[in-house]
Amino acid sequence: MTSTSNGGLSRRGFLGLGLSAGMITLTACGSDSDKPSGGDASAELVMTAWGGENDKATYQKRIDLLVAKYPELKVKLQLIPSDGYAQKVQTMIAGGKGPDIMQVAENVNVYSSKNQLLPLDDLAAKANLDLTQRFGSIGKIYSYQDKVYAVPDRSGAMIVYYNKTLFEAKGIKAPTADWTWDDALGAFKELTVPGKQWGYSGAGWWAQWWSFVYQNGGKIIDDAGKPAVATDEVIEALQWAGDLVTKHGVVPTQKQYADMGADIGGDAAFASGKVAVNTTGFWAINGLSKATIDWDIAPLWRGKQQAVTAFGSGLAISRTTKNPDVAFKAIEFLTSPPAQQQIIATGEDVPAAMEVQKSDAFLKPSWMTKPVNMKVFGESSEFIYRAPFIPAWNEMQKAFDDGLADFWLGKTDARSALTAVQAKLESVVKPAG
Amino acid sequence: MSKLSKLRRREALWFYLFASPWIIGFVVFLLGPMIASVYFSLTDWDSFTPPKWVGLDNYRRLLTDDPVFWKALWNTFYYAAISVPLGLVLGLWLANLLNKQVRMRKLFRTLIYLPTLVPLVATAMIFKMVLAPSGPLNDLLGVVGIPGPSWLLDSMWVKPALILLSVWGAGGATVLLLAAMKGIPRELYEAAEVDGASSLRQFWSITVPQLTPIIFFNLIMGLIGAFQVFSQVYILTKGGPNNASQTMVPLLFNEAFSFYHLGYASALSWLLFAVIMVFTLIAFRSARRWVFYETEVR
Repeated sequence: MTSTSNGGLSRRGFLGLGLSAGMITLTACGSDSDKPSGGDASAELVMTAWGGENDKATYQKRIDLLVAKYPELKVKLQLIPSDGYAQKVQTMIAGGKGPDIMQVAENVNVYSSKNQLLPLDDLAAKANLDLTQRFGSIGKIYSYQDKVYAVPDRSGAMIVYYNKTLFEAKGIKAPTADWTWDDALGAFKELTVPGKQWGYSGAGWWAQWWSFVYQNGGKIIDDAGKPAVATDEVIEALQWAGDLVTKHGVVPTQKQYADMGADIGGDAAFASGKVAVNTTGFWAINGLSKATIDWDIAPLWRGKQQAVTAFGSGLAISRTTKNPDVAFKAIEFLTSPPAQQQIIATGEDVPAAMEVQKSDAFLKPSWMTKPVNMKVFGESSEFIYRAPFIPAWNEMQKAFDDGLADFWLGKTDARSALTAVQAKLESVVKPAG
Repeated sequence: MSKLSKLRRREALWFYLFASPWIIGFVVFLLGPMIASVYFSLTDWDSFTPPKWVGLDNYRRLLTDDPVFWKALWNTFYYAAISVPLGLVLGLWLANLLNKQVRMRKLFRTLIYLPTLVPLVATAMIFKMVLAPSGPLNDLLGVVGIPGPSWLLDSMWVKPALILLSVWGAGGATVLLLAAMKGIPRELYEAAEVDGASSLRQFWSITVPQLTPIIFFNLIMGLIGAFQVFSQVYILTKGGPNNASQTMVPLLFNEAFSFYHLGYASALSWLLFAVIMVFTLIAFRSARRWVFYETEVR
């Protein structure tokens, strides 16, 4: 409730300036939040999620199941295209009409740190929901300052896609979780035909090279909440990832990617058989089910230790909701096995609930056109590292994009690039607390 | 006397009545937010929690403590300084060509205007392919022996690449200039011909001076558009590599909607407003010396 009145205060402060123009717009906004309220269960909940048609259908199916079980609940789904999701939700909240339930991901703490989300620990305890039991190691991944702000909903580790035909032609065995960096590099070299075919699609995306950082014992943000990217472990891991492009030539350069066509990246290059190995999330399976190449999936190889990035999203309750209890009841059901099963039934994503990940419905989805080793997701979930979902997530990503641009082109080495990024991050990232 | 003023008052009433949709729209959706943004530019505001008053701190940080701002400002100047004059010269040249009695004039006119009708997103996607390191443009350059750069990936060539894309839309100015050319009285040319002026002389002494109001209009609109360039940058490069193509409005957008620094972004927008204002004023000042209106006597 506090934030509603805070939001109102800012509006009133505004009116105090005597801006007649502002008054018209803002009183219009104000009247919305003055709607008669009350904690009644029949109130309609607004839920925002991002994605495309399949996502919309999947969320709606899950909501239908929810309403079938609790007929008194009403949930209105607002599906927003991914590109504009953050801006749209930002506008909704700033306008005093924030969603009750919102999908959040890596940027969850943009909202939690700004007091926009409800801490869920008490609600979960009241509902007898044990997050670690239901979701395993990622149960409390969406936490900020020791409080949980979102319940995991979709979650899957980054996995290795490999081209079976190319591997067999070279007599290389399928990648395993026990491959070391050297094993991986050796295979990439064999699979590379200069200028035509490459062993690996590259590790330029944070989810990829950060996995190697954590495998190497490094951390992007240290336990005290300070950036730690200029350490030897991080530098070594990034240099290894960069050398794949510039020194070993087993990954296409940016130029070579640009020549493949507009917006062609690792996923598309893998689907067309130009690269033999690609590391990305579950979503590529959908695209590949129509591809002509023969492929399978495997868990990510290891460095000094095992570590892999997980993708996913959770469901959070906004601070402005009138019915936190009802909203949590909805989230509890949406993330329970019966509702989670829809996520894999439609081929949307990996459901976060462990029980569903281990079920036959997940391991052998009805829509799958060929046998795929779906056990990889369960196997990988054991070594997911805890990525730093800091409030300044977007700024941190931009700092890496800018600061590593020359590095990926081979114009500078990992040490000098990361030293510069570290300086930038120190001004951007304020340690929590 | 009183009757007249009554009529006047009534007319004024009708005037405001008919103008009110615009006035209300302007006040509510433009003037109001503008004034509000002055206030926000003096605060630290993340759009969620109440703004905190920081005085001129945002402006101070922008001007003294933000290398990306200066880089973006320089890039924006670079882009405007080349793309606007280039667009004008090209527009003038194309309009002059189209004004001649050539076969299939209408077809050419349509073709030259067509690029401005293609949605920018589609154009940008095509440009990504055309500007690829081994793309058609570099193939063409290769034919004449020039090794083409990897346009969008190279911090030195990414701005010229964006300028190329802006020139693609020169058809818009061409149409306006062509229409104005058609409006120049024939007698002027006839008289000049009788006096023995060459066609080049006619172009410089009749066509160009007569076109100056339209050139001026295109200059102002071009300047404003160039300083506010957004979609091209956002789609083609997102400001990269390492901010080499970052311009003011994409920077502003990032600060406001990606980093949640709405106060800082408001300050940025006001600095941009000041920059555009200064250049527009310079253009207007100089206009007295080079823009001629037919009705004007000198």
